[in-house]
Amino acid sequence: MPPHTDHQPSRRRALTIFVNGIGALFGGALAALLGAFAVRPARGAPVERWIRAGTLGDLVPDVPVARVLSVPRADGWYRGRARQTVFLVWTGTQDVRAFSATCTHLGCQVLWDAPAKRFRCPCHGGAYDAEGRVIAGPPPRPLNRLQARVDGTNKSILVQL
Amino acid sequence: MIERIGEWFDQRIGVRRIREVLLDEPLPAGTGWLFTLGSVLLGLLTVQVLTGAFLTLYYAPTPDHAYDSIRFIDSTTPGRVVRGLHHFGASFIVVFLVLHLLRVVCYGAYKPPRELTWLSGLALLGLVLGFALTGYLLPWDQRAYWATVVTINISRLMPIAGDAVAAVLQGGATIGALTLTRWYSVHVIFLPAVLIALIATHVAMMRRQGISGPLRPREGFPSPFYPFHAARDVTAVSVVLAALAVMAFGGAPALEPPADPTDATYFPRPEWYFLGLFQLLKYFPGRLEVVGALVVPGVAAVFLALLPWIDRGAERHPRHRPFIMSAVIAGLVAVVALTTLGWRDRPMSASPREGWTLEEIGGRTFIAAIGCARCHSDTGMADALDHATMGRGTEWLAGHTIDPEVIAPGVRERTSPLHEREVAAIVAHVRRLSRESYPGFAPQIETAAAVYARHCIGCHVIDGKGGKEGPELSDIGRKHDLSALRLWIADPEAVNPDAEMPAFKNRLTPDQLDAIAGYLATRR
Repeated sequence: MPPHTDHQPSRRRALTIFVNGIGALFGGALAALLGAFAVRPARGAPVERWIRAGTLGDLVPDVPVARVLSVPRADGWYRGRARQTVFLVWTGTQDVRAFSATCTHLGCQVLWDAPAKRFRCPCHGGAYDAEGRVIAGPPPRPLNRLQARVDGTNKSILVQL
Repeated sequence: MIERIGEWFDQRIGVRRIREVLLDEPLPAGTGWLFTLGSVLLGLLTVQVLTGAFLTLYYAPTPDHAYDSIRFIDSTTPGRVVRGLHHFGASFIVVFLVLHLLRVVCYGAYKPPRELTWLSGLALLGLVLGFALTGYLLPWDQRAYWATVVTINISRLMPIAGDAVAAVLQGGATIGALTLTRWYSVHVIFLPAVLIALIATHVAMMRRQGISGPLRPREGFPSPFYPFHAARDVTAVSVVLAALAVMAFGGAPALEPPADPTDATYFPRPEWYFLGLFQLLKYFPGRLEVVGALVVPGVAAVFLALLPWIDRGAERHPRHRPFIMSAVIAGLVAVVALTTLGWRDRPMSASPREGWTLEEIGGRTFIAAIGCARCHSDTGMADALDHATMGRGTEWLAGHTIDPEVIAPGVRERTSPLHEREVAAIVAHVRRLSRESYPGFAPQIETAAAVYARHCIGCHVIDGKGGKEGPELSDIGRKHDLSALRLWIADPEAVNPDAEMPAFKNRLTPDQLDAIAGYLATRR
């Protein structure tokens, strides 16, 4: 039970407001700071890098070849590497097409079915031709095209990831 | 409306009763500002617990990643401020714990029936020092690593159980991953659990016995804690927290270089609140070390713990307890004096803002020569070296420099074989880069640095680094001018037939000779 005091009720009320106000002020400031810290936005867009994916000598005209690339990935403080499959298609000239192997339907990895001359997705039956266009199944879009160029000096193929 | 919501909750969980129990404690008249120190500590500990809990969102307790994860935390403003609060908060707690303890001693507040409250307070002091010790290992920088080495070696001095205690503290065969995870879980799980239990006990005992109050009872009615004394508490807490926020706003002090067990040039220094103990150790060399490390602090701790039984009279006023007061003041003076001495005894090498060494500068030339930028560029397959993070150790970096394929077989081309001194210079350069960006030096200095790091460092010391076979070159410019130096370096035997130094006229280009001779001539 609160003991009897000689303080006036108005003084009590002023002090109550003071104590609670300061408490709310500091609590609020700390909560805002910690909240901002907890939900910090991811920093910047991921850097696009040109990765060496092989040489022209490895390729046969118009036959997609799968290459597994090791791509640096900054995951917050963690500098890791992600393995990513790309298909390289040499048109027979200095030009190379590169496709992501990720099916545009639900993200499974497509395979090159050499006898049928098409990319097949093992998950839901999607199929693409050698230029990445959808020819069967549920995929809504063609395979993602990646920027690719041939480095003239040593015939190596660089893919932008 | 608020009344009705309060009523609704009160009927179900009895919030009013809880509030009465927590806040309506009657305090004796004359309870003044000195009685706010406990609340200040409670406020500071709350900040510590909250910021600490949030820091675990990003911190990774492994030797490979701890350093990088702290740098990541420091990369945004909220992160810097949160870590700053946690860092400086620890120091604030130590300061206010000591003030709180002195207040209790001066007021004789440990006297019956409050002996156990006093003991639980001392236990809290020990616990806070335990937090401080385990906490500053976590960034895994040089200071963290070496402070831990020293702590574990001190524990070895303990009679009989020393080696066993050290083994438990260390976890594994060396100070490494197992030590870090162990100290981390002690810091964030075990100590906080004990802390909360002890604070609850301490406060519950304080409430049960009531506060000791002013030295002489005053006239007047007691008043309830809330809001009358709470207003004083809140004022004191806000002033202290505001001061903490101002300090924390600039962030915690920058990390030192990543932990490097092989670095013999590093001079470890503890956090300021351990400087007294650090200084004390210096007075007890050799076999006496155990006296400084354990006996003196132990005697002080036992004296404090036994205070309620040493100082038995009912008299509380400090003027009537001369023995206790002079003993405590003597102890305080000793602690302050030792801390000050420890603070002032800073060797030059501990200054964080030293210039780049020639070896560190020279590494840049080798990096350019072997083409690290083929992969390490802003669009290449690895991070550009100018903003590389180097949480990994020097061994790894040296291995990767010699053979880049160490981290990703098949992806990159091999570089031409490197001389071990070139590797050492590259490692030194990258380690430095991971702390601060390259300031840029004149091309002639960069060339001279590369020549020195490749050819001279084996036999000649400059600024404390290098081999001892030849004379030191730090102030060679006082003895010889540019042309004499150039002549000597090109062909020592032409100057002195007995010279042991090999000729460099065929191993260095004229430009390199000009650069190194020119640089050395400026060393006065």
